[in-house]
Amino acid sequence: MKIARVAVIGAGVMGSAIAAQIANAGVAVELLDRVDEKQTDRDAIARAAITRLLKIKPAPLMHPRNARLIRPGNIEDDLERVATVDWVIEAVIEDLAVKQDLYRKLSEICKPKILISSNTSTLPLALLTAGQSEAFKKRFMITHFFNPPRYMRLLELVVPAEIDTELFDAVTQFADLCLGKGCVICKDTPGFIANRIGTFWMQTAVLQAIQMDVPVQQADAVMALFGIPKTGVFGLLDLIGLDLMPHVLKGFKQALAADDKLYQIAVLPEPVQKMIDKGYIGRKGKGGFYRLQPVEKQKIKQVIDLKTGDYHVAEKFKIKDVTHKAEDLRHFLESDQLLSRYAWRVWADTFCYAASLMPEIADNIATVDRAMRLGYNWRFGPFELLDRLGVRWFVERLQQQQMQVPALLADGNALYCVEEGKQHFLGAKGRYHPLQHAAGVLLLEDIRIQATPILHNASASLWDIGDGIVCFEMHSKMNTLDPDNLGLLQQSIDKVAHEYRAMVIYNEAENFSAGANLTLLTPAIQAEDWDAVKAIIHLGQNSYRMLKYAPFPVVGAPTGLALGGGCEILLHCDAIQAHAELYMGLVEVGVGLVPAWGGCKELLRRWMSYPKIAQGPIPPIAKVFELIGMAKVSQSAQEARDFLFLAKSDGITMNRDRLLSDAKSRAIELAEKYQPPEPAVFYLPGKSGWAALDIALHNLYLSGQVTAYDVVIGLHLATVLSGVDTDIIQPLSEQELLNLELEAFLALLQKSETLARLEHLLKTGKPLKN
Amino acid sequence: MKNVVISAFSRSPFTPAHKGALAAVRPDDITAQVIKALLKKSAVNPEDIEDLILGCAFPEAEQGLNMARLLVHLADLPIKIAGVTVNRFCGSSMQAIHMAAGAIQMNAGEVFICAGVESMSRIPMGGFNSLPNPDLYQRFPQAYISMGETAENLARKYHISRSEQEQFAYLSQQKALQAVQQGRFSEEIVPVYPKKGKPVSADGCLRPDSSLEAMAELKPAFLADGSVTAATASPLTDGAAAVLVCSEAYADRHQLNKLARIKSIAVSACEPEIMGIGPVQATKKALQRAALSLQDIDLVELNEAFAAQSLAVLKELSIANDTLNIDGGAIALGHPLGATGARITGKVASLLQREQKRYALATQCIGGGQGIATILEAVS
Repeated sequence: MKIARVAVIGAGVMGSAIAAQIANAGVAVELLDRVDEKQTDRDAIARAAITRLLKIKPAPLMHPRNARLIRPGNIEDDLERVATVDWVIEAVIEDLAVKQDLYRKLSEICKPKILISSNTSTLPLALLTAGQSEAFKKRFMITHFFNPPRYMRLLELVVPAEIDTELFDAVTQFADLCLGKGCVICKDTPGFIANRIGTFWMQTAVLQAIQMDVPVQQADAVMALFGIPKTGVFGLLDLIGLDLMPHVLKGFKQALAADDKLYQIAVLPEPVQKMIDKGYIGRKGKGGFYRLQPVEKQKIKQVIDLKTGDYHVAEKFKIKDVTHKAEDLRHFLESDQLLSRYAWRVWADTFCYAASLMPEIADNIATVDRAMRLGYNWRFGPFELLDRLGVRWFVERLQQQQMQVPALLADGNALYCVEEGKQHFLGAKGRYHPLQHAAGVLLLEDIRIQATPILHNASASLWDIGDGIVCFEMHSKMNTLDPDNLGLLQQSIDKVAHEYRAMVIYNEAENFSAGANLTLLTPAIQAEDWDAVKAIIHLGQNSYRMLKYAPFPVVGAPTGLALGGGCEILLHCDAIQAHAELYMGLVEVGVGLVPAWGGCKELLRRWMSYPKIAQGPIPPIAKVFELIGMAKVSQSAQEARDFLFLAKSDGITMNRDRLLSDAKSRAIELAEKYQPPEPAVFYLPGKSGWAALDIALHNLYLSGQVTAYDVVIGLHLATVLSGVDTDIIQPLSEQELLNLELEAFLALLQKSETLARLEHLLKTGKPLKN
Repeated sequence: MKNVVISAFSRSPFTPAHKGALAAVRPDDITAQVIKALLKKSAVNPEDIEDLILGCAFPEAEQGLNMARLLVHLADLPIKIAGVTVNRFCGSSMQAIHMAAGAIQMNAGEVFICAGVESMSRIPMGGFNSLPNPDLYQRFPQAYISMGETAENLARKYHISRSEQEQFAYLSQQKALQAVQQGRFSEEIVPVYPKKGKPVSADGCLRPDSSLEAMAELKPAFLADGSVTAATASPLTDGAAAVLVCSEAYADRHQLNKLARIKSIAVSACEPEIMGIGPVQATKKALQRAALSLQDIDLVELNEAFAAQSLAVLKELSIANDTLNIDGGAIALGHPLGATGARITGKVASLLQREQKRYALATQCIGGGQGIATILEAVS
């Protein structure tokens, strides 16, 4: 059963964004909402929601074009349209009567063999299905998306025992493969898994910060130590909206028993109430715990003092000398300092609460951990985090402080262990069960448990991932490229040529690669050792050339950022299998440089052979000039395709967990009858083309769109792309283009403005406009 | 010498480039429909037509391959009609009329189709493959100066304030709006049928809701601290225009309509960086050749490339307000480069009839530093 068309009823924030993610998968969506009688357009509500999708940030759509897959309508005139769809998602107001009435209508119109699901976050399945027919219970479940649905990977499912397994399989497969979701099965309990634990954690963290007098910023910094996204608790609440807190807390208060620990703390803290009253409801309003205050044309980040309600400048705050290592964290939690006591309080309560909910909310701890990782972007779920810290250590500390030890932890057994090369989790009765992945999920983290790398150094490793395929993994800081991983790449190429069939370049960090390690350049620049700079450029150029012409296929498998040198390595691969969330670009001009590891050459080659661009020497050059000159970064893999960073034949994987497996399949496919590519030959217009680009730059400068130094960088880029001293009838080799890249790079590197840009980026992490 | 007359005038709707209704229509397809409609309007026997002279500022890609000759086939004209594409940038289709007039007086043909077209959606201004001569660019860069910069130069040279420009643009919008409301374009506009979708029959560039307040909010378009904005420049436009030019004797023999007689013509040139002043010298030359003075001119179509440029011309030429662009100008209607010359010449010829006036002037500035002018006389 294929899902080719979906209906989403309810075009609110969640409904429309769910529709967007379905459209991102290339699937047509019917988006229906009420009729607004005040407007002549009966589809006005749904239509406005689609318009909104094109405007809001972060963008719910991976490409504006996807909006065309969403057809607006209204439930009075267009409900018949659900007769054509293969899945209906209800995302209307959290009102039981409204929902049940809608279900009755849907049941009559929908094809008999399709699933109807609700995106409710508060209503239990038992209530939704109460009084409905047996047939309805076979085709209904809760599919709870997290906001924003494009970016949050969790999909919580609450499934009736009677469910038609064929329908269940079809929808979960679709959610997994096409929507990129991690499906987690929850028990029918209030708030399901993630929000139950998440709300408890947030509420505890806020209440304790108020009670213990912990400043907002410091509280958030503490959380980040434990693998929580850097928004921490307060930043997260600003994102969610403080005005939602009273509703969420009220919901739990009504649904939970009085002896539940969350019930006991589900009271809106007074400082938060005051903020809401004053309109400080978070980022969607004028600010929340943090706000951006305009001071002399600049926006200054300010943070609230919970006691006084006053804002003051948010100076950078970092907790020193504590790493993410378990030993460091334990040490930190044992300290008597304020932040340590605070962290202990929040985490001890959160761990105990999570443990007390087993198996009430989920079948096992691994499910809970997965839900928190995918739904709240925690690096580790609560049980994983606790396990890293050490269950025995934790229990002892609880006992020392006369706190109650939850039954689950009473034996002090580890929550996770490795047996026979596989990760296992602690189940009921103290037994360990193997952690199962869905078919088609291949993770380096699993391979790491059972094998040692073929080659390895501090910055990279080469792994055997089976079937004659290897995975080249970068693991330097931000996966930046440096002599270590480039050296290992060269060694790997040699190894694979003799012993394997193909290579995949992939890693499991948040970002594929932030580019070349710029700190390597700084000493060479300071010493004015241009030969050393040349050596670095040559190392990159040579490594990437070897990669491109290796006698085996190479598949790049990026996710997240792939910038500068990280973009260039991908441009030299035979194929790319990209995660849908790909932010790829040649951003060198941001530090006053031009790409010099073959980026100009490869992007130019792609645009020159692109059949849909206007003929003649200028259009491909102008396009590459724009992409590099403006440091364009794709906002998705789909957009990377527009920029020709991805070729038409390159693949996009929606589910992050399936990226390696898909890339491996592609590598196997290419390894059959593989021939390395033929080197490109370039016919470039020389000085005439350079003059054309100079004119364009001049006009941009006049209109104030670029700075004087942008023009200088642009002109160096123009020398590379135009071939400067060549003539349109003269062929240029790839090497000649690489030489031009090197020349331009060296010339720019010797300018003080470039140095200022470099230093500024290294110091602040932000580009300097000079 | 033979008298030369403008016998008929048609144009497509002018619509904004990229977002307008004609963006998806090939320029040759637009022009073919305009020419067909022009001939339908006239009693001319197509067999008598000597040549199809087509103005186009960027004659490449879809506008390439001598589009004029291809239009003979596209518009189902007799195969014996010749075709030539001429380029004098914005003056291209006025040049087409001048060439026809010259040929008629040389006894080199009696009837000509003089047309012009530009799809600024489909062929970018500057073309796809601008490859300046690097030596000239170094020695004399203003040869390649952008049009916006020339407008700023004139604003500075003639001390034309931003608000003066906005007043001018606002008035152009008002005049055009009034003309639309009174149905004054229905005679000249030919509906264009795209391959898909509804026929396009109305101009699309007008900003009827524009206000001086809103204009004042805009950012300068070409110079960071400049005065020219999107509101005071003509918009990028798609469109085509055509006139039928013939000897007066031919018109009389075949009972063709005579909108106006061509009295005199001229081209001139000036510094590229102030190209917008081009109409001044061209007009003076044409007036002299017609033995007329500006006081004799009852109606003027001065192409509004930019408000600053038009105002600079008006500082040099004393043109009465009530004679100038009475149905609005290019700031409101749009400026499809190659089509504008035929539009303003055809327009002012038909205005002579409508307004029952004697003399008219059509003139425009041209990128690179040129001017072109045509003086017309009523045929009474």
